[in-house]
Amino acid sequence: MRAAVRHVVMCAFVLVMIYPLIWMVVSSVKPGNLVLSEPGLTPSEVTFQNYRDGWNALDEPFSLFFLNSLLVSVGSIVGNLVSCSLAAYALARLEFRGRKLYFAITLVSVMLPLHVLVVPQYIFFSQLDMVNTYFPLLLPKFLATDAFFTFLMVQFIRTIPRELDAAAWVDGAGPFRIYWSIVLPLMKPALVTAAIFTFIWTWNDFFTPLIYLTSTEMFTVPVALNSMMSSETANGVGALFAMSLLSLLPVLVFFVTAQKYLIRGISTTGLK
Amino acid sequence: MNPVNRRRFLQLVGMGALGTAGVTALASCGGGSGGTAIRYAWWGDSNRQQKYTAALDAFVAQNPGIEVRPEFADYDAFQERITVQTAGRDVPDVFWIPSPQVMSYHEAGLYRRLDDIPSLDLSAFSPTLIDSYRIDGELNTLPRSVLTAAVRYNQTFLDEAGAQLPADGAWTWDGLSEFLIEYTRTASGGRKGIHYNAQADLCFEAWLRQHGQDLWTADGRMGFEVDALAGWFEWWEVLRRAGAATNLSEQEGAQPEWPVVGDKVLMTFGNSNHIADEAPMFPDYEFGLRPMPVLADAAAGHRFGYLSRLAVYQGIDDDKLEAAGRLVHFNINDPAILGIVGLSVGAPANPQMLQAAYAVANEDEKKMLAVVEQEMAEEQKPRYEAPPGSGTWRTIMTRGVEEVALERSSVADAAARVVADIERELGRAS
Amino acid sequence: MTQETLVRPVAQSPPVPARRRRPPSFRRQGGAAHVFLLPFLLGLVFVTAVPLLASLYLSFTDYDLLHDPELIGLENFQRMVSDERFWASVGVTLRYVLVSVPLQLAFALLLAVVLDKGMRGLALYRSAFYLPSLLGSSVAVAILWRQLFGHEGLVNGVLGWFGVEGESWLQNPDTALSTLVVLNVWTFGSPMIIFLAGLRQIPEELYEAARVDGAGKVRQFWSVTVPLLTPIVFFNLVLQTIGAFQAFTQAHIISGGQGGPLDSTLFYTLYLYQQGFQSFNMGYASAMAWVLLVVIGIVTAAHFLLSKYWVFYGDER
Repeated sequence: MRAAVRHVVMCAFVLVMIYPLIWMVVSSVKPGNLVLSEPGLTPSEVTFQNYRDGWNALDEPFSLFFLNSLLVSVGSIVGNLVSCSLAAYALARLEFRGRKLYFAITLVSVMLPLHVLVVPQYIFFSQLDMVNTYFPLLLPKFLATDAFFTFLMVQFIRTIPRELDAAAWVDGAGPFRIYWSIVLPLMKPALVTAAIFTFIWTWNDFFTPLIYLTSTEMFTVPVALNSMMSSETANGVGALFAMSLLSLLPVLVFFVTAQKYLIRGISTTGLK
Repeated sequence: MNPVNRRRFLQLVGMGALGTAGVTALASCGGGSGGTAIRYAWWGDSNRQQKYTAALDAFVAQNPGIEVRPEFADYDAFQERITVQTAGRDVPDVFWIPSPQVMSYHEAGLYRRLDDIPSLDLSAFSPTLIDSYRIDGELNTLPRSVLTAAVRYNQTFLDEAGAQLPADGAWTWDGLSEFLIEYTRTASGGRKGIHYNAQADLCFEAWLRQHGQDLWTADGRMGFEVDALAGWFEWWEVLRRAGAATNLSEQEGAQPEWPVVGDKVLMTFGNSNHIADEAPMFPDYEFGLRPMPVLADAAAGHRFGYLSRLAVYQGIDDDKLEAAGRLVHFNINDPAILGIVGLSVGAPANPQMLQAAYAVANEDEKKMLAVVEQEMAEEQKPRYEAPPGSGTWRTIMTRGVEEVALERSSVADAAARVVADIERELGRAS
Repeated sequence: MTQETLVRPVAQSPPVPARRRRPPSFRRQGGAAHVFLLPFLLGLVFVTAVPLLASLYLSFTDYDLLHDPELIGLENFQRMVSDERFWASVGVTLRYVLVSVPLQLAFALLLAVVLDKGMRGLALYRSAFYLPSLLGSSVAVAILWRQLFGHEGLVNGVLGWFGVEGESWLQNPDTALSTLVVLNVWTFGSPMIIFLAGLRQIPEELYEAARVDGAGKVRQFWSVTVPLLTPIVFFNLVLQTIGAFQAFTQAHIISGGQGGPLDSTLFYTLYLYQQGFQSFNMGYASAMAWVLLVVIGIVTAAHFLLSKYWVFYGDER
């Protein structure tokens, strides 16, 4: 009985939270010109034309933009997980000169607004002749420049009792062994979290791909979406909704899969 | 395999990720013909993306040995990207120029002169026209199209109300204002006369020129005074206070969007070219287009058109110049392009192209062509582009409109503030 | 605080032999550390530090992106003092930080605890609550928000049932910022996930130990969950505060880049963006960025100083 009440409360709350999305789903099956002029949850006419229009809105099919985004997102996840966890382990656990300084610089780089870094970074990548390639998007991820994740992982490593790696020291393990076989398995929730966020943020990132990817066949989903609705006339809202919803699917699938791995970290590693 | 494809192939393989994705992506990159590669940058919505890509393909087919690399984005995004590219001196070879940036780019030396490129034929333009395109005496941009300020009205609503627009002789600002108030009084369904669009810059410019003033002057300063702006604000306020214009809440902001107001008002102010894109959103209605109302004692030569320009980058390689010239030629002189891209960017500036355009225009586009032709046939005193430092004048204007329409300040105070703010921004840039 | 005293004994009695050996020598770890840090250091020099220093240099110049920058000393900083819109943006940003960060974090923590365990179908609920955050900064959000808070939006529709006739919440300078706070709270998914991951990281043994000591559910929450989650709370607090100071996208999308009506949603970074990319005052924008950096730096340093009093690390000795 109590469980039933809880479910009712939760469901009601969920409905409130995702009402805007429900509205969006309904709107996406309305004829394009009625999306804004006839709001409300009961469409007078149901059509999938918006999906067809949106899919073929640009001269390349939308599947290409999905693949491009997938390439960038998966590359970014690999880059972030490897480079940030390495850096985070060193910053959290090893003792060396400059540790505090590095940690401070990590934080400082999160504090400066992106917009003033764009131009110098662009000049850098353009001199390396990397414009209109995916390198400007991926290279920084492999170099642990997403300080958010380094910091996140440092915080997680610091919640791990130090006795665990101290015990390994006693057994004669070096820093690499400890990183690989103790710290990494224990910070699985942090890695999954970082993977989820990297995926979502890269998938949704607009400004960087806009600047670096100039030809249509290189576009990622957000750049393609942005070109669908004219800011001058607001045409194409229906197709925009349809494609926005489709572009939610990969992230949703990824999230649903990944969150299962947010399982109890320590309890499953046989800490006895 | 052309260089682009090869580079892309290396990226995909080099990353070792998504093997199948790579193959599919590769398969979908159409192959260019190799040879001289010209970067071409333009803006718009997805519709325009498709049409211009098709046009560029047609150009490439016509011109073996030239490859075009399209760079497309939405209007705002286009400006962000080209700004960064400019800072990195990595500018497309041929590019459209957004209106606020015409003079900034000119002063930064981004434009190459266009009167010495053999492959670019300018014979369709009279010397007078050519002179009107010059910036500081230099022919370094050319107009793709002409836009004029225009009034769009909903013929269906007019018919329903049994009303008729003021005749040409009575097509004055006062006459229009009275008509709109009268229309709103009797209109059914809570319809109003007009949206509140004191923000429409070409329409505001028409108002200024009729008052003997200008938006900008030849020497890069503001061309209007507080009184003229206050008079403009007041024209809108009369309508708003009478309930004949939608308020900012009803139209969701100082810059009303067509889908929001399209079926709420009889009339909207805007650019002549938008009717072609916007009319189809309300397929049940028939729309008409007219030039702006005119002051009884309007200053001579007040008529004008805004030239939407394109340019060739100053730093273009010499061996690409011939190809770039051909591409510009294709854009401004070749009737074939009209058949592919249509008229969503406005009426062609080239007089011969304008006549050819009637052949490809739909009903709404014909109305647009007629209005532009009518406006451009009149005597016009020169018009000057927005100077460097004017990049935020629209933002400043928006705040002024909000102050007035939200009743936070008097018309006179708001107008004085706007003028002072724009002047300060201009002073900073010089 | 009484929890503090409760915490330590429970948390510090893990079922592992206490540390016996001093960590190995400074030099040996220094070498290893730099191997771990190699990608980080490369990125630091090439991707982060150079642009960072470039922007610092630009903050002392007049730079319009089109011509070469020209040194002008402290002029950009002096200009801020008398720039009305600058101060308007400071006010908007401070209000936003103070209101939206605590609200969003409280919301995220509450739901993370509720969605952690003890109920069927949790995975489903979690995904549902996370959905809004997935939408991110899509252009579609602008239209969604108008559908909710606009003149003919849902909120006014509901108010209409009670006979209240509402204006557009987005176009009223007194309420526009609140709708952005709501937007931020609505997308509480990221901190929620971090909290969830943090909850998952707490060793089950500690709960067992607490139960052995006779602690009930509430007591377990306060003496095990809360203290062990403090590093994560701290992380979320620091990062969300920084994020709120830099808030840009929401206002950029919803106000169409203007920060209106009447500058009521003109976030600091939005004004910075307008200066840099619309007025072409990249020198001024860079100066603004560095002022923001100093302010955020001070706030973050304060967070770190204060953290000694409430954050508990499992690796503390």
